Amino acid sequence: MIITKKKDRKQLLENVKGYKNFFLLGCSECATLCGTGGQEQLEELKQLLEAEGKAVTGAFVAKTGCQVLGTKVELKQFKEALAKTDCIIVMSCGAGTQSAVELFDDKAVYPSNDSMFLGNMTRLQMFDERCSLCGQCILDKTGGICPVTACPKGILNGPCGGTKDGHCEVSPDIPCAWVRIYDRMKKLNKVEEFKATTLDAKDWSASIKPRKLVAREEKK
Amino acid sequence: MSSFQEALNSGKFVVTAEVGPPKGTGIKTMLHDIELLKGKVDALNVTDNQSAVMRICSLAVCKIVLEHGAEPILQMTCRDRNRIGLQSDLLGASVLGINNVLCMTGDHVLAGDHKGAKPVYDVESVQLLKIVDGLNNGRDMSGNELKGSTGFFQGAVVTPEANPLEPQMGKFAKKVAAGARFFQTQAIYDVDKFREFMAEARKYPVKVLAGFVILKSAGMANFLNNNVPGIRVPQELIDEMKAAGKEKALETGMDIAARHIRRLKEEKICDGVHIMAIGMEDKVPIIMEKAGLL
Repeated sequence: MIITKKKDRKQLLENVKGYKNFFLLGCSECATLCGTGGQEQLEELKQLLEAEGKAVTGAFVAKTGCQVLGTKVELKQFKEALAKTDCIIVMSCGAGTQSAVELFDDKAVYPSNDSMFLGNMTRLQMFDERCSLCGQCILDKTGGICPVTACPKGILNGPCGGTKDGHCEVSPDIPCAWVRIYDRMKKLNKVEEFKATTLDAKDWSASIKPRKLVAREEKK
Repeated sequence: MSSFQEALNSGKFVVTAEVGPPKGTGIKTMLHDIELLKGKVDALNVTDNQSAVMRICSLAVCKIVLEHGAEPILQMTCRDRNRIGLQSDLLGASVLGINNVLCMTGDHVLAGDHKGAKPVYDVESVQLLKIVDGLNNGRDMSGNELKGSTGFFQGAVVTPEANPLEPQMGKFAKKVAAGARFFQTQAIYDVDKFREFMAEARKYPVKVLAGFVILKSAGMANFLNNNVPGIRVPQELIDEMKAAGKEKALETGMDIAARHIRRLKEEKICDGVHIMAIGMEDKVPIIMEKAGLL
């Protein structure tokens, strides 16, 4: 999921100080799990804005905020409230925010969160980055653990000299990606494969932005 | 062929030392160190923004080393340049007459003095070795033909005291397969343990220079143990440093280094040593003398 964290509220209020009537748009997927864009956070921000003398015309948690058309359909019921709104605050990720920008080209749209990374939830509201969306997956060659993401240097062929007791030179909180990969490959009897394989440098053209994908198959 | 490569091939016990380019254009001390070491050591490594601290580039200082009549080893990390920059600098080094290159991934920017910098790591040490091999064979990384190839003698680094050691040795093998012809190791303080490492390393057709960092105090030894990955100073050396007392600590540190170097040479454990004096370059000839190398 996309991991988000709340922007500093003072900063957010400063960003939107020129507006009076707000609509709050959350998301039931990632942002709800991150505690940044669920019902509770919408209510919190509503109270904060009202305490500042602002009006909140409506608040809604979209099913999937990055799904542009679905969100458009869901928001139809708020036509009146949205007509009175001069600023939409989107409480999901940067993708959700830009869905709203696309749907409301005449209204100001502000993000209430910072979008951090693609993450795995390990415990309630604890997230780890495990995939960098590089566009060219090498997990099949690295024991299922991604060194592009788990190693701060993105090394593809084994640990650097900065491994200390299985941890990274960058921070003792980071387990060395290549020690993890090696241990796992050893368990799977793939040490020889590790030794015999030298991965070539990645083709970063697979992650040149902005990326686009048409997965739809044309019906004949 | 580079004179460093010739020295290694001749079978003599080779000594390399290090020049750390300064931060800024004041190079008087650095020039003094180069003058002091030339003719004594077989080659001088020029570090590449060591510890990710921004300094004069390795390439420029390698050229200065050449002009002063010494043999440079260009240290090249992958932290600050992408594959275009790395290859371009390698071609540049080649036409300037720099014939040795040490390929490393490089300390992370977070270790240095520009922590907000974007780390590059477009390629890493193993891939950089392959790039050098390609340039030596007239091809760039994309397979394009070069108008004139390079003639580098390329090497890499290895950490004999890495914990765990197995994956490190796996990478060592990959570096050899990628074209590394010599290795300079992280500092070692335990000759017996190093001999075990060499028993494995000797299976590969490469030259190995054992790394040395001079102990200045028992405190420094403890600091290295606790903070520097891949360095392990055995307790008996720490005790020896302690027993020497403050006055004699540095002298003892140099004696230890000299004693170890002498043993490595006499017992033919490796092909030479790499002394990283880190600001005490004037001590390198003294250690060499104590070790019977001058």
